[in-house]
Amino acid sequence: MQVKFEFVNYNEELDIFELDENNYLLELDEEQTKTYELLKDVDLHLYNWFQKSDFFTEWVKEEVYPESIEKKFAICDINDISFRRFFFFKVTSGDIHYDYFMKLFGFIEESDWQDREYVGNKILDQLRVKRKELLMELVEDDTEV
Amino acid sequence: MDNQYIKNMLSQMDKELASKGMSRRDAMKLAGISSASLLMGGTNAQAAEEEIVKTDAKGRILIIGGGLAGMSTARRLTLKLSNPDITIIEPNEDSSNYQPGQTLVGGGIWPIEEIIFKRDDYVPDGVKLIKEKAIAFTPQKNYVTTDKGTKVEYDYMIVAAGLHLDFERLKGIEAAGRCYSSGDNSNLLKVLGDDVCSIFTAEGAERTWEIMQAKIEEAKKASPEKPLRFIFTHPNTPIKCGGAPKKIMNLANARLKEAGVRDNVEMLFCTNGGAMFGIPEYHDAVLGQFKREGFKWHYRHNLLEVHKDRKIAVFDSKWQEKGPWDPIMHEYEVIPKHEKVEIAYDFLHIAPPQMAPRELRESDVGSAAGWIPVNKQTLQHFQYKNIYAVGDVAQVPMGKTGGSVRKQYKVLVDNIIAQMEGKKLPAKYAGYTVCPLITTIGTVMLAEFNWTVKPTPLLPLDPTVERWMWWLVKIYALKPMTQIGMLTTGRA
Repeated sequence: MQVKFEFVNYNEELDIFELDENNYLLELDEEQTKTYELLKDVDLHLYNWFQKSDFFTEWVKEEVYPESIEKKFAICDINDISFRRFFFFKVTSGDIHYDYFMKLFGFIEESDWQDREYVGNKILDQLRVKRKELLMELVEDDTEV
Repeated sequence: MDNQYIKNMLSQMDKELASKGMSRRDAMKLAGISSASLLMGGTNAQAAEEEIVKTDAKGRILIIGGGLAGMSTARRLTLKLSNPDITIIEPNEDSSNYQPGQTLVGGGIWPIEEIIFKRDDYVPDGVKLIKEKAIAFTPQKNYVTTDKGTKVEYDYMIVAAGLHLDFERLKGIEAAGRCYSSGDNSNLLKVLGDDVCSIFTAEGAERTWEIMQAKIEEAKKASPEKPLRFIFTHPNTPIKCGGAPKKIMNLANARLKEAGVRDNVEMLFCTNGGAMFGIPEYHDAVLGQFKREGFKWHYRHNLLEVHKDRKIAVFDSKWQEKGPWDPIMHEYEVIPKHEKVEIAYDFLHIAPPQMAPRELRESDVGSAAGWIPVNKQTLQHFQYKNIYAVGDVAQVPMGKTGGSVRKQYKVLVDNIIAQMEGKKLPAKYAGYTVCPLITTIGTVMLAEFNWTVKPTPLLPLDPTVERWMWWLVKIYALKPMTQIGMLTTGRA
């Protein structure tokens, strides 16, 4: 099975993510395909699996960003499963992203009293931590930290 | 509250139940209140219900605040500790007032005397009370300083200081300042005047009923063509009892109907939020009730100013507009807009902005968010592990009701004792809260829910249906459960 990836690159100096406009195809073997099918409906589990898998980081190091030691990047899309809201969410993003993050970060309120800006900034606070978890770096010996 | 009071109250309840062909026992069973005897003031049955095992755990416990949360926690600690060493700091002699009754006072159902209770009646035996105000917190060295200069050291501290009603934030009535729900609030009443009120203080609830009656008289001279306008607000902060603004609106509606002048008044609810209730099922039910009663409402309207001379309320009105295309997120941006809008009123009920008392908020114990930052499940402070918070002051979602405190204080006591014994914290609060939403005189929708954001009714009854049974529970059962069950015995 072929899986299409899109990536974002982390600009450390500006502390922002920049979209890599290219698509990259990774061929999964039978076992990997089974795992992919199991995890594809639980977006962050799917992300974590690739992030922690040697075959994936090897592929990135060799095929996607060769000779790019110390490069920091993250997965933006896997087929039709998008993670870009983690890197590009802003206060003016659509309600669907607010709903997603409020559930993910466990924001619970008795009544819908919040201002969009207030909740948006709370989400951005949480994302500062979450983005670090999602970030990957190409290193010399192993392929990923 | 003495035994005679309880007997009178139960006798009245029995009469009402008999008129519906039901006994008290059947009613309590139906209401799902298993410990009916607790509500009746009995003590033998209570003792049988929960086996209390005392512990020899030791430590100086300091409780900041002597309201329902602080006093009930102190009471329960004395039940569970063999040699309790507990100090409460509370300057207000009315701190233990029955706040859930303030809506009933505001609607003329109860006189104010029903909800005024003296702090000193609820201080457990052996607990030291310091009648001063804690104003400085030094959690790094485990001591607190009061306004009289008393330095109080502790091993464990429980913050149960309640919250500030922040009228100061509202332009035009900023002279009302910040206040607590109990105590002398004569300045607040003076500043609010004859057309503006708030049931969020005990005295203010009594004043609300006075103003409401005067306005009902005025309404008799109005007409459906030239109606009076009653406005009820809900602010942009968390508030104690999120249903309270709607409860007093519904009681006012009932009183207007009773006087035969409902058609002469426009009832308008202005809320900062975008829904009637955070739980979709209750939102739908409340919205249906609003439509049925002919209420009007504005979402995303936050009260900013009150011009008493012109009887104008100024709101920050918010809405959203479609923004530019975001090529990375593949969507149009959402641009928040807002503007000030003026709305004329004849009667204005204010639910003020609310936040933790300033001395706590600005101390090392507080947080920028305005509340005491605790783990929402264990109620333990994130930074200072020997500090806990309970009730209104705690940064706990959906936690600012008496019903929440009834769950929280047991969790807190179990956890603090475990910590004193060097054990892992065993208890977790799951976010349960309850809002007996008065829909008219005689019916209540019992909104129970927790952090699942779903209705969590005790009984297998449709929780969105208004029932007279819940009205009886609200009027007759919840007060003794609070006072006897929590404040006096620490068991409910």
